[in-house]
Amino acid sequence: MSQENVGAVMVVGGGIAGIQSALDLADAGYYVYLVEKTSGIGGAMSQLDKTFPTNDCAM
Amino acid sequence: MVECGRHLNIELLTLAEVEGISGKEGNFQVKVRQKPRVVDMDKCIACNLCAEKCPKKVPDEFNEGLDKRKSAYIKYGQTVPLKYAIEMETCIYFVKGGNKGVKGKGKCRACEKVCPTGAIDFDQDFQDEIKEINVGSVILTPGFKPFDPSAFDVYAYSKFNDVVTSMEYERLLSSNGPCMGHLTRPSDGKEPKKIAWLQCVGSRNINKCDNGYCSSVCCMYAIKQALVTAEHTTGEVDQAVFYMDIRTHGKEFEKYYEQAQEKGIRFIPSRIHTAYPGSEGGVSVEYFNDQTGERVKEDFDMLVLSVGLETSKGSIDLAGKLGVELDKYNFAQSSSFAPGTTNIPGIYASGSFQNPMDIPQSVTEASSAAASASVALSSQRGSLTQERTFPQEKDVSAEEPRVGVFVCSCGINIAGTIDVKELTEYAKGLSNVVFVENNLFSCSQDTQVLIRDKIKEHNLNRVVVAACTPRTHEPLFRETMKDAGLNEYLFEMANIRNQNSWVHGKEPEKALEKSKDQVRMAVAKASMLEPLEYLSVNVNQSALVVGGGISGMVTALGLADQGYETILMEKAHKLGGNAWNLATTWRGEQIRPYLEDLISKVENHSAIKVYKNADIKANKGSVGDFVSEIDVAGEIKAIRYGIAVVCTGGQEYKPDEYLYGQDDRVFTHLEFDKEMSEHKPALEKAKGAVFIQCAGSREPERPYCSRVCCTHTMHSAVELKNANPKMPVYVLYRDIRTYGAREDLYREARELGVVFIRYNPDNKPRVSREGDDLVVVVRDHVLFRDVEIRPDYLVLASAIVPAEHKNLVELYKCGLNSDGFLQEAHAKLRPVDMSVDGMFLAGLCHYPKSIDECISQAQAAVSRASTILSRSVMPLDSIKSYVTENCDGCAICVDTCPYGAIALTDYERDGGMHKKIETNKALCKGCGICEATCPKQGVYVHGFTNEQLRAQLLAALENV
Amino acid sequence: MADNNEPVIVGFLCNWCAYAGADLAGVSRMQYPTNMRAIRVMCSGMVHPNLVVEALERGADGVLVLG
Repeated sequence: MSQENVGAVMVVGGGIAGIQSALDLADAGYYVYLVEKTSGIGGAMSQLDKTFPTNDCAM
Repeated sequence: MVECGRHLNIELLTLAEVEGISGKEGNFQVKVRQKPRVVDMDKCIACNLCAEKCPKKVPDEFNEGLDKRKSAYIKYGQTVPLKYAIEMETCIYFVKGGNKGVKGKGKCRACEKVCPTGAIDFDQDFQDEIKEINVGSVILTPGFKPFDPSAFDVYAYSKFNDVVTSMEYERLLSSNGPCMGHLTRPSDGKEPKKIAWLQCVGSRNINKCDNGYCSSVCCMYAIKQALVTAEHTTGEVDQAVFYMDIRTHGKEFEKYYEQAQEKGIRFIPSRIHTAYPGSEGGVSVEYFNDQTGERVKEDFDMLVLSVGLETSKGSIDLAGKLGVELDKYNFAQSSSFAPGTTNIPGIYASGSFQNPMDIPQSVTEASSAAASASVALSSQRGSLTQERTFPQEKDVSAEEPRVGVFVCSCGINIAGTIDVKELTEYAKGLSNVVFVENNLFSCSQDTQVLIRDKIKEHNLNRVVVAACTPRTHEPLFRETMKDAGLNEYLFEMANIRNQNSWVHGKEPEKALEKSKDQVRMAVAKASMLEPLEYLSVNVNQSALVVGGGISGMVTALGLADQGYETILMEKAHKLGGNAWNLATTWRGEQIRPYLEDLISKVENHSAIKVYKNADIKANKGSVGDFVSEIDVAGEIKAIRYGIAVVCTGGQEYKPDEYLYGQDDRVFTHLEFDKEMSEHKPALEKAKGAVFIQCAGSREPERPYCSRVCCTHTMHSAVELKNANPKMPVYVLYRDIRTYGAREDLYREARELGVVFIRYNPDNKPRVSREGDDLVVVVRDHVLFRDVEIRPDYLVLASAIVPAEHKNLVELYKCGLNSDGFLQEAHAKLRPVDMSVDGMFLAGLCHYPKSIDECISQAQAAVSRASTILSRSVMPLDSIKSYVTENCDGCAICVDTCPYGAIALTDYERDGGMHKKIETNKALCKGCGICEATCPKQGVYVHGFTNEQLRAQLLAALENV
Repeated sequence: MADNNEPVIVGFLCNWCAYAGADLAGVSRMQYPTNMRAIRVMCSGMVHPNLVVEALERGADGVLVLG
């Protein structure tokens, strides 16, 4: 087992928070493993018809 | 989501769960168990045939069990990855003995038979895969579970179909839900005309459940649902919200609440006890009219229970497996000064697993966690990431267009309606076309190889793919172009699926004619496409932070720790801002030691340069390369930086009512905090204290909520009662907004005997002097009479107002909202970015917030800034404006540019001075308003020139 | 009009809103008449008035600029 730091991060949960963390890290130069329990990402936000306060769609 | 799926440096592991972890920060080994999808992701094209034929129906969790899906399913139509899966736990084949080495025992296999790409093959052995993954840090974002109200028998949720949870209601409203967007009630499919929302179901309740906290989002979502309902029904709908306090404490939320009231949604302060069966179906509730005191019985067609947010059992187990400590409400434990951290270094928590929160906050906290998770790993930045490399690009500028057309069948998605064979033949006859082929699936990996080979074989220099929408796969095909040595902008698509076969399914002949037109138009445009230069800007990998309060200091420290040189500018003579006037956080943590430590770290950091008594005088440039002139205590300096973060903060509003400034006994919160710490003995002997909430907030002049004042009041009230339990303490309020776990403070205040009196904004408390006494008169909302209080202290929960921002607006073209706070690029999806590229914000200048929220936002700004600063060169999209020789400097376009990207310059020619425009590639967004304004063909947008659009137009009307 | 007496509509659809909306109508399998030919633009502000005039001159029965 190497003692060096690893330039990768694991994000557990593919909802809006997980997606945002993953994108920020990947864009900043780290490899990201995004682990999601279900068959697709999106989480609770994908179940919403509209989101406040702008009432635009969740997609 | 699409970005995540496409990103080279993000590996998506779906149907996967974390089993265990070992190691330490910087080097963890994580064990992940991945269940088999059964459907081969490389082959699946999401055509839905397997689901259509699958005979096994199961409750659809995505629709909260309101309807059914099949065992062969896709989670929802827009998910990523857009691939189907077979649920082994319910699939007839697997359940009845398949995959146990006993082939042939499980029946069905219908999906396997109908799948057009052979993506399902049951003759394999499907086992869970255990992966051991090596990472430097872990971020936990497993989200929340809506509270299950079955335990509340009085609401009859399990008995009445028309009593639904808010999440079920979302699904009923959604266009991809069980009602397809047309709201009907579950029991009889009737359109509901009267709907009621009950707030705080499963929150603020320690009686029937253990959720003493406030879920923070339910008031807003109930208002949203009420507002949006009107769009999903015909005719009038009567809506009522039954509440204890309306908590609209976020940015622009108060205006949302007011808008709802103006639209006629009724807000009734009452806690409904029981849902009775209605007289005509539906439900009936009883409450007391708070103005008349009369008992009212009202029927509603539907009842929506605004359920709270909880941590799911799976997440609690996950925390257990990792050794992560949760607080008493099962949210991830952390401190105000290190939000997002857990008890384990290297493991972070964010989103509603951390605390119930809305989308803007989730996105902010997520970025914040990303910053925290990457600090320790900054030396390893870029070590594991990949950049794609491509062969040398061929120069085609001297060649005649040689167009290749690839017509996609998309399985039967296109070919099922449009005769692709005939379309292929037709394309062969178009001018400039030298090669046409029909593929089954253009987007598949093997077709990319094929396209690349055909480009080389036939010397193609333009490519048209007639298939789905460019919004899905254009990036994929652009990469294929590069792989084949062609400039990626020599590519065009004809949308014969989303905008043809899918929407003209019943008219195949007309669809075919339209597809011919579409291909002809695409070929016409493609023939005119030019290779475009790949643009980039050099990034000055250093930063400027404007404002040296907690937000500014945390930002500067974050950027410096990530390895970027940072300049921190502070207007005053010392760092610290408002924090010098605050004693403790709402959790009781001491602020002063943290503040002094933070200042010390900032002033001693080798990568941070601090300028005090500093002000920005002038500014030029754009993202990656800003140049500013600053005044530091009289001396002018020039500074250069790649990005800037604005943390200019806010201040306490000094009220002009309630005798403030006219009597020593009337304080603002900050003044009273000082009084409490300096004059404890006098405090303990006081004959009473009154707090008046919303002093200056939620008024026409400042129609927003200052967010922190209710919590501050509870904190101070509890402190007073602890010093002297017998002292009468009154809180005069409109709504108590102690959101999240701050609700505990409200409960504690009530338990200690603080008296709460609700007042109406049109009948505010009256303060006067009578002899030596301070007199506060307020109309009690229960007794319905005036109550007179004579306290020793009157504390006004005064508003927070933004700092003066006019010069920032001029210097950087930042936007302000109507209340004077800095405007973010997108309220939800980009809460710390400003619309100007390369500029970010954090702290009170954005909106009033508590210290932990400021720190999160500051860290989020660090993370977002890192996405720019981490590269020395930033690629720009090539779809940008360019100036032609025809420009004569009339300058009509200059003001029309919404991004300020056009400037007028002088140049010399033939001995005389002329004018023409210059466009800034970094600022230009390729919108083309300049192109449409110019009367002289002086400016075009690459890839969408007037000539190219015209070519498409003429091709469209060729046969008319 | 086209030969078969069906009106021909030219539509300029902006990438972010109208074009995306048309795509979503496709995903939702909403059915509508085949009369429109869409030209994708980056912003409806990109549509030069000359293009609209020329469309009508060349026989389009209607022009939609959607953004």
